[in-house]
Amino acid sequence: MNENKKSKKNNWIIIMSRLVKNQFIYNLGKAVLVSFGVFLVMFSLIRFIPGDPVDMILGDSATEELRAEYREILGLEGSVFEQLKTSLGNIIRGDLGTSVVTKQSVNSIVKRALPPTAWLIIVSLFISLLLAIPLGLLVSLYRGRWIDKVFQIISSVLLSIPGFYMGLLLILLFALKLDILPVAGYKPGFPENLRYLWLPATTITVVMAPVLARVLQSSISNTLEQEFVETAIVRGLPRQNFIWRYLLRPSFAPTINLLGYMIGQMLGAAVVVEIVFNIPGIGTTLVIEGVLQRDYSLVQGIAFVFGIIVVIISFISESISAWLDPRGRSS
Amino acid sequence: MKNQKNKSFLKSLNIEAWFGLIILITMVLLGILVPLLSPYDPLKSAGETLLAPCKEYLFGTDHLGRDIFTRTFASTQLDLILALIGVSAPLLIGTILGAVLGMTRNIFVSWIWMIIIDAINAFPFLVLVIAIVAIVGPGVQGLLIGLAAVNWARYAKMVRTKTLTLRDSEFIQATNVLGYSRLRILFKHVLPNVYPVALAYGLSDFVLVIITISGLSFLGAGVRPPTPEWGAMISEGRLYLQNQWWITVFPGLALSITASGVALLANGIMRRIEGED
Repeated sequence: MNENKKSKKNNWIIIMSRLVKNQFIYNLGKAVLVSFGVFLVMFSLIRFIPGDPVDMILGDSATEELRAEYREILGLEGSVFEQLKTSLGNIIRGDLGTSVVTKQSVNSIVKRALPPTAWLIIVSLFISLLLAIPLGLLVSLYRGRWIDKVFQIISSVLLSIPGFYMGLLLILLFALKLDILPVAGYKPGFPENLRYLWLPATTITVVMAPVLARVLQSSISNTLEQEFVETAIVRGLPRQNFIWRYLLRPSFAPTINLLGYMIGQMLGAAVVVEIVFNIPGIGTTLVIEGVLQRDYSLVQGIAFVFGIIVVIISFISESISAWLDPRGRSS
Repeated sequence: MKNQKNKSFLKSLNIEAWFGLIILITMVLLGILVPLLSPYDPLKSAGETLLAPCKEYLFGTDHLGRDIFTRTFASTQLDLILALIGVSAPLLIGTILGAVLGMTRNIFVSWIWMIIIDAINAFPFLVLVIAIVAIVGPGVQGLLIGLAAVNWARYAKMVRTKTLTLRDSEFIQATNVLGYSRLRILFKHVLPNVYPVALAYGLSDFVLVIITISGLSFLGAGVRPPTPEWGAMISEGRLYLQNQWWITVFPGLALSITASGVALLANGIMRRIEGED
């Protein structure tokens, strides 16, 4: 009987290890666990600070009723375990809570602020890829020559210019001196909003395109060292045929993997860029309504949304890159 | 002996790194020498307001009549010191924690920590720092706490990976056989072998930290005016961008030049470590 139990346990281990070996299920499991981690980080944030968070918002002179109200909004009632249970339940139901300052639901605030940010990211991503793919290919074909060295130095310098400064320089040049694009602001609706998005998207692109090009370059260089590439060169395949089938396709897997990470970093850069260009997106809301007015529940809700978006995007990009290049399974 | 080693290290650096080093040293020197170079006080009015750059005021004056040249280089020290703290605190915490996590054989503990580390790394860097600053309270203290609380996770993850590859190597196995205490193994045998990875990353992280510090000050969540700080100065100058561009452009230029000096130096050293060039 003991043996039977043991073999049952062994069966389970075999099934589990087969499941984990499936890249898709491994990624999905990881995404769910990290999402829970993102929730835990946001949950513990206001509970770690010394002192009472309600005191920090209201000061000492507030009435007991007001305190109770804030306590309820922030989910600080009952034991820590009960608080954890309630807020996990709320998050799973998709309820991000209520803003302490405006008393609006955080869901409605996020829903209002998300479209401009999404547009900004999509346009930036499009321009970045349009620039990065040819650039990455160019510098990897001329690796070690002066084009490559100039690119390395220029990209280091571009990476060192903060987004908010680059944005202001672009405003100064294109909006104030040349007067061809609006200084700042935003209008919803597809073709009209592009006019307001060119400058902010360029700002993000200046930082993102060199990074993407560098990664593409290093992954193309890795591919170049593979035997099948050498064989293709020896076989004397036509150049354009060779570049696409033997160089770019296998090199895209790590690039797409990184793209997931880059979209996350773009979301961070978007916060500053939105403020510079006065775009009413989620970053502006986070800073102006959340940080400067000390709206704890709004900050928690928005940061959680940012974290979850990044987890979902990296899950998608990891799955795509595993599908593109099944050899590159990360253990 | 040590001197000799340093000399060969400097000699072996490539042009890129030399260029970065020279930029950095120039900026630091200007920052230290600015009280001698300029007769004005960074916090007090030096003459007329909103003057364009001229002989007496090389970079012009701002809306309160303060000299931009003095203020720009008065910021260098503050920004570099804040960045140094902002890099070294998470470097220290992350390296030690990562090494401990790499050495532990308790799967449950290391799993929980890895989920937390992955979760912190999942947030866009700036967003989580902003969230922590919002809750701790804006200002220099909040800024440094935010940076340390977010950034340690990157170092911990990297050092843990490195430690895991080291753990099964023969010399660490040997220290186990010799019966050394865990602390001794950790500090005398593991950490000396893993810290170079963290240090190399820390150098390139320096750029990100400088940009984040000035970025948060720009947003009004870091160093507050009237303290001279690049991000805060740019934020003040933004309102006058149309006609008085110099209030914004010069502090930003100093910030970008310093950051690119660090980036070039970091790149050069990274390549030397990786054995390219």
